[in-house]
Amino acid sequence: MLGCYDFCGHYEWTFEWMIQRGGEPLLREYWDEAIHRDSQRHAMELIGSKGIEGMKEYWGHTLVDEGAGYHCTATDTVFRTDMHECPSKGFLIRNGLHQHHDYCDHCMGWIGPLLKECGWVVDHEHNHCGQCWWELRRATDPTRPGKPGEMSGEHDVRKSAGWLPPHGTMDVYERANAPHDKTTRKVD
Amino acid sequence: MRGKMPSPVNPLPYTDTKPVGAADFYFAINATFRFVLKKAGIEGLRQYWTDLGARYFAPVTAQWKAGGLPAVAEYWRAFFAAEPGAKVEVSQLPDAVTLEVKVCPAIKHLRAHGREIVPCFCQHCYFIGEAMAAPAGLAVRIEGGNGSCRQTFLRRDAATAAQDLASIKEASC
Repeated sequence: MLGCYDFCGHYEWTFEWMIQRGGEPLLREYWDEAIHRDSQRHAMELIGSKGIEGMKEYWGHTLVDEGAGYHCTATDTVFRTDMHECPSKGFLIRNGLHQHHDYCDHCMGWIGPLLKECGWVVDHEHNHCGQCWWELRRATDPTRPGKPGEMSGEHDVRKSAGWLPPHGTMDVYERANAPHDKTTRKVD
Repeated sequence: MRGKMPSPVNPLPYTDTKPVGAADFYFAINATFRFVLKKAGIEGLRQYWTDLGARYFAPVTAQWKAGGLPAVAEYWRAFFAAEPGAKVEVSQLPDAVTLEVKVCPAIKHLRAHGREIVPCFCQHCYFIGEAMAAPAGLAVRIEGGNGSCRQTFLRRDAATAAQDLASIKEASC
């Protein structure tokens, strides 16, 4: 049987299986069709109908279930998550699993298209070490993300000691909705 | 659960900090099967399962090859202890290990949330299990499905009849 306990392991393995058969386009289609529109359709229902309240409801439930170390901050116009210990990337790191070149892209792979349909854009950075941050705003809101600590104070993951990755690059998304919208910047 | 007590070493090759998995991941497993079935057909889906069993689960196969049927029993006891809502009796017999799946945690969770289950969902246990077992000189045969089943792991040379896929039930809500 395929279990949920090590889900992140066979999920990440599946990314590479998809790429071997249909390249990056098939993998993106998988994230959008199977994860966004099928598996996580309850996220679409919540966020599409309730906006930020739906985000609080959805991520409050799923991240607790998955055992994440995280903090969410919300106003009337922006929803921010600071992920200090990503449960799925952490699982892969602890178990030495690395089939796909950038597991972290899967979040933008399904959340990005979902938010686009609901009229939201994403500012996001991940360091490939299990830490990231997200700010979600309506596409009509031109506000840019604030400086470290401005919105979430001491909970801002960018203020933590382990934020800057040892390999010296960070993946960055600005007002994005797709996994290929990213740029990679040096941080040293 | 009956049979030999598990060893203190965790028989699961990939371990987490939480004791059981998040059941909503069964949604993604079911959705992945549906996606592969749509894109690659039933033979493509069976190939996906076979590849998973042979590659991702290769460390389990190595344990079974080294430890034989006792290792098979230990693995499944640990496996189902980490699956939320599972009710499974693992028995180690002289020539086989049987899993009496009284409540399949995946089918239970998918049904509880009104998810449409891929009809051939239960076949994944055969194709993944067989790909894990074969290189260890073992085989699996399955009867039932759709929420409860009986899985028998035995020595390959004792598995005289091939798996009859018709004896694995289609899954439904």
